[in-house]
Amino acid sequence: MPSFIKAINSQVGRKVMTGITGIGLMLFLIGHIAGNLTIFGAPDAFNIYTKTLADLGPLLYVIEAGLAFFFLYHTILGVSIWRSRRKARPEGYKKYQTKGGPSHQSLASKSMIYTGSIILVFLVLHIIHFKFGADYATMIDGVEARDLRRLVIEEFQKTWIVVGYVGVLSLVILHLSHGFWSAFTSLSMKSKEASKKIQMASYAFAIVIMLLFIFIPLYIYFTGGEGSLISY
Amino acid sequence: MKLDSKIPEGPLEQKWSKYKKDMKLVAPNNKRKYEVIVVGTGLAGGAAAASMAELGYNVKSFCIQDSARRAHSIAAQGGINAAKNYPNDGDSIWGLFYDTIKGGDYRSREANVYRLAEVANEIIDQAVAQGVPFAREYSGLLANRSFGGAQVSRTFYARGQTGQQLLLGAYQAMMRQVHAGKIEYLPRHEMLDVVIIGGQARGIITRNLVTGEIKSWEADAVVLATGGYGNVFYLSTNAKNSNVTAAWRAHKKGALFANPCYVQVHPTCIPVSGDYQSKLTLMSESLRNDGRVWVPKKKGDDRHPNDIPEEDRFYYLEEKYPSFGNLVPRDVASRNAKIVCDEGLGVGETGLAVYLDFRDAIKRDGRETVEAKYGNLFDMYENIAGENPYERPMRIYPAVHYTMGGLWVDYNLMTNIPGLFATGEANFSDHGANRLGASALMQGLSDGYFVLPATIGNYLADVKPGTRHGTDHTAFVEAEKAAQENIDKLLSINGKRTIVDFHRTLGKIVWDKIGIARNKEDLESAIKEIQELREEFWANVYVPGEKNNYNKYLEFASRVADFFELAELMAKDALDREESCGCHLREEYQSEEGEAIRNDEDFSYVAAWEYKGINGELKEELHKENLEFEFVELKQRSYK
Amino acid sequence: MTIHLKYWKQDGPDVPGHFEEYTLNTVNEHMSFLEMLDVLNEELQLEGKDPVEFDYDCREGICGSCNLVINGQAHGPKAKVACCQLHMRNYKNGDKITIEPPRAAAFPIIKDLVVNRGAFDRIIEAGGYVSVKTGSAQEANAIPIEKEKSDAAFDYATCIGCGACVAACPNASASLFTGAKLAHLNHVPQGEVERSNRVVAMVDQMKEEGFGDCSNFAECEAVCPVGISISAIAEMRRDYMKAMFS
Repeated sequence: MPSFIKAINSQVGRKVMTGITGIGLMLFLIGHIAGNLTIFGAPDAFNIYTKTLADLGPLLYVIEAGLAFFFLYHTILGVSIWRSRRKARPEGYKKYQTKGGPSHQSLASKSMIYTGSIILVFLVLHIIHFKFGADYATMIDGVEARDLRRLVIEEFQKTWIVVGYVGVLSLVILHLSHGFWSAFTSLSMKSKEASKKIQMASYAFAIVIMLLFIFIPLYIYFTGGEGSLISY
Repeated sequence: MKLDSKIPEGPLEQKWSKYKKDMKLVAPNNKRKYEVIVVGTGLAGGAAAASMAELGYNVKSFCIQDSARRAHSIAAQGGINAAKNYPNDGDSIWGLFYDTIKGGDYRSREANVYRLAEVANEIIDQAVAQGVPFAREYSGLLANRSFGGAQVSRTFYARGQTGQQLLLGAYQAMMRQVHAGKIEYLPRHEMLDVVIIGGQARGIITRNLVTGEIKSWEADAVVLATGGYGNVFYLSTNAKNSNVTAAWRAHKKGALFANPCYVQVHPTCIPVSGDYQSKLTLMSESLRNDGRVWVPKKKGDDRHPNDIPEEDRFYYLEEKYPSFGNLVPRDVASRNAKIVCDEGLGVGETGLAVYLDFRDAIKRDGRETVEAKYGNLFDMYENIAGENPYERPMRIYPAVHYTMGGLWVDYNLMTNIPGLFATGEANFSDHGANRLGASALMQGLSDGYFVLPATIGNYLADVKPGTRHGTDHTAFVEAEKAAQENIDKLLSINGKRTIVDFHRTLGKIVWDKIGIARNKEDLESAIKEIQELREEFWANVYVPGEKNNYNKYLEFASRVADFFELAELMAKDALDREESCGCHLREEYQSEEGEAIRNDEDFSYVAAWEYKGINGELKEELHKENLEFEFVELKQRSYK
Repeated sequence: MTIHLKYWKQDGPDVPGHFEEYTLNTVNEHMSFLEMLDVLNEELQLEGKDPVEFDYDCREGICGSCNLVINGQAHGPKAKVACCQLHMRNYKNGDKITIEPPRAAAFPIIKDLVVNRGAFDRIIEAGGYVSVKTGSAQEANAIPIEKEKSDAAFDYATCIGCGACVAACPNASASLFTGAKLAHLNHVPQGEVERSNRVVAMVDQMKEEGFGDCSNFAECEAVCPVGISISAIAEMRRDYMKAMFS
């Protein structure tokens, strides 16, 4: 389907695909935090959740491959768009400033490529850290399973890990606060009123979801993570 | 020389249809063998280039701007007239014709004006089909408003940017033909001469404004759509690059220049604030519907205008013209502003301004109503003048706005040189001694879309297709050489005064003596002053930069040189016309109450001037085309 | 008042440029920005120096010729104003002003502050019109157009083609210019017929000309002298994708 290839490679298509993959990744974040929050549930809840995922078997690989594709595609588009600006403006301004008003040029929008790059590096480390971290075992309903909860609690006792996570996750707030709005804008949100509302939603989404993510390491760090995190 | 206007025989209503029935046609397969040059891409040029290319001619389109879309038609605010009679207020083609010829003070041709009124309806259809977003009613149908000089609502408009929208329509039609390969599009090219071989216009010489290259272009016909010459005044509402060069160079090659003294001065512009002023900005005439014009009664009354009590205010228009008051036509309003300022009653730092006061309108209708009507104009005024017109009366002064004079053309829009056509403001044809509001857009588009594409075929049918002399023909070589020499000469003077300085000084002479009101003595002294200044120009002007690079000051130098010559002709023409008509007021020919006195017995003619050389003095021979009025009765205008 | 100017000088597209500085003591608050540059050029010429070239024509904000980047902002600090209508009363005595040309690969510099915006013409040429021949139009009132739609079309049609959107965009994208013309023609039934072909042709041409991608910075809307909304870009995207997938 050549028109499909042409469409997604066009200047319009690239941005639309950035938006679509971005929204996909945001949906993933929602799923991810929902799963993470089970750590506050009964002592086994978190491990049951991770075991359920692991038990998906080959399907998990498909999901992981899909996610990886979204991440990569989103990254490639972001880098490519960022690089194309040098070609479009080989000689920059000696002095440049935004005019404000309706402009969305902000720390968040201007740093997308940097916050994005940091997130990418973090992502790799994060996967190594937990997916390929210490393989503790536990029993769930008489079946041996990986005790990821123990790993999480142990790791989040380490100051430098908590500082690193909290630091990076704060940057994700920046990335999302523009990314959420931009994705909908790329997907043809038209009206000015809607644009304003989505910008508010964008801030709300970025802050709420990231505070939830940040809450977990901080809570574990400060409470020591003994027993069930919430006492019944 | 016998001037033949070539007006078709028959009743007024049938002349144009009869012409179209009788005209010679060029077969479609032959059209592609013809080359037509169009200089200028405003409404007249852009529309003509697009329409002729659609017909199949090969068109070359030149403009001095960096894009065809920037031609000065873009700045027209008010609207475009057409007798569609949508409001059912009794409008008709005859009505539009009559108002236009009366508005022009009976100094234009009946047949041309009638054709204009007839074609106007088609323009609206065409523009709407192009997607021009005219104002609409809630019904979804087109809206109309009324404009000066008419008792019906026949003006179509697109907010205050009608010219822009119509020009973009013509520009887009043109770009479509560029895409189709039927138009060769050459922006940033300035025409420096027209080339005549065997008595026919066969091409032009241009300068590429980026590289300085002088080049010849051959064609079967040349169309000049290069606008008016208002910038001879230095300060005008024209764009800075508007100039007379193309028309003037054609004039020097033999094309007659008609009625150069007819210059329209618009009464409501933002006044000059200092020597650095580069142009004047128009404020829509509609402001006079609610604003009251006044000056202080006492000379040198420097009180804040709001502190001047009613009894010390001179509402001169209301007092002199009780029935029309502040709504007198443009020329009357302009002239009276000049009179009170000449008496020393003018306001502002320069004393060259009068007040346009909305105090009473705001008191009567409330600020909100006034804001709804004029909000954007008030904002514009505040941005430029730095004063809030809701709180302090506006200061306004007349400014040169449009030139009715131009190259003489016959009914075919062809000059006296076969193959050389002139359209739009560049010709003299349709507005007589005064143009009504919303008529300039109508004429430009009528010429461009409908008249010229028809009449040019009538001419080309007699030209053998594919006749080429080659640009190495001596006529081209010599014209190129002359153009180059002119540029070299300007650059070699290396004097002490800048081009802007000369232009400003020239403009002041023209404004003071060939401006709103003229008299014999002033005109004669103007001619002397212009000649002296011109001599100094050629001895003492400083033109910076090089010829083979982008050099705006060199462009200006070459244009100002032509303005010097045109200015002298304007004075001669004004001197010859010993009557007052339309915008041309000779102080010797007015009633005791200061009303213009037209002299139909002796001056009912088009003054067409033939260039005879220049040597210290400009030599021109006058040819008269008598205007005959078969269908309308000539009346004296009165607005008392 | 006194203004310290720093302006770009460059002899042609392929030669390196540089800044020059000049202190102008004769600035009056009523001058427009371009009149201030006129005065600069008069002084430069009287001193036998090379004047600085800049593009201008109507000086009333409608022709779109002027397009200076003033202290890093296209058309200077005021919103919804072209720099020909920016007045010096917006500056203070002693201010420093840096003037640069719009910088974009698609707008090569001709001289100093003058650039070639032919790329915009070519985008229009690609499809920015209604293909109606002169004389073949139907009666103007034959198709009623909802007032709201017609007004919206006008809001987009008011683009003056100055290129400030490109100048200010961190990516040098021409999306607002292209989107505005598309949105104008798509809001009227006359333009509807060619909607799909038009959007594809114009968007492709935009890329061909070397303009950058749009990253939703919306800086274009902030600098647009006629305030065209980025909703034009949203419409362009939707129409483009629709056209490609139908």
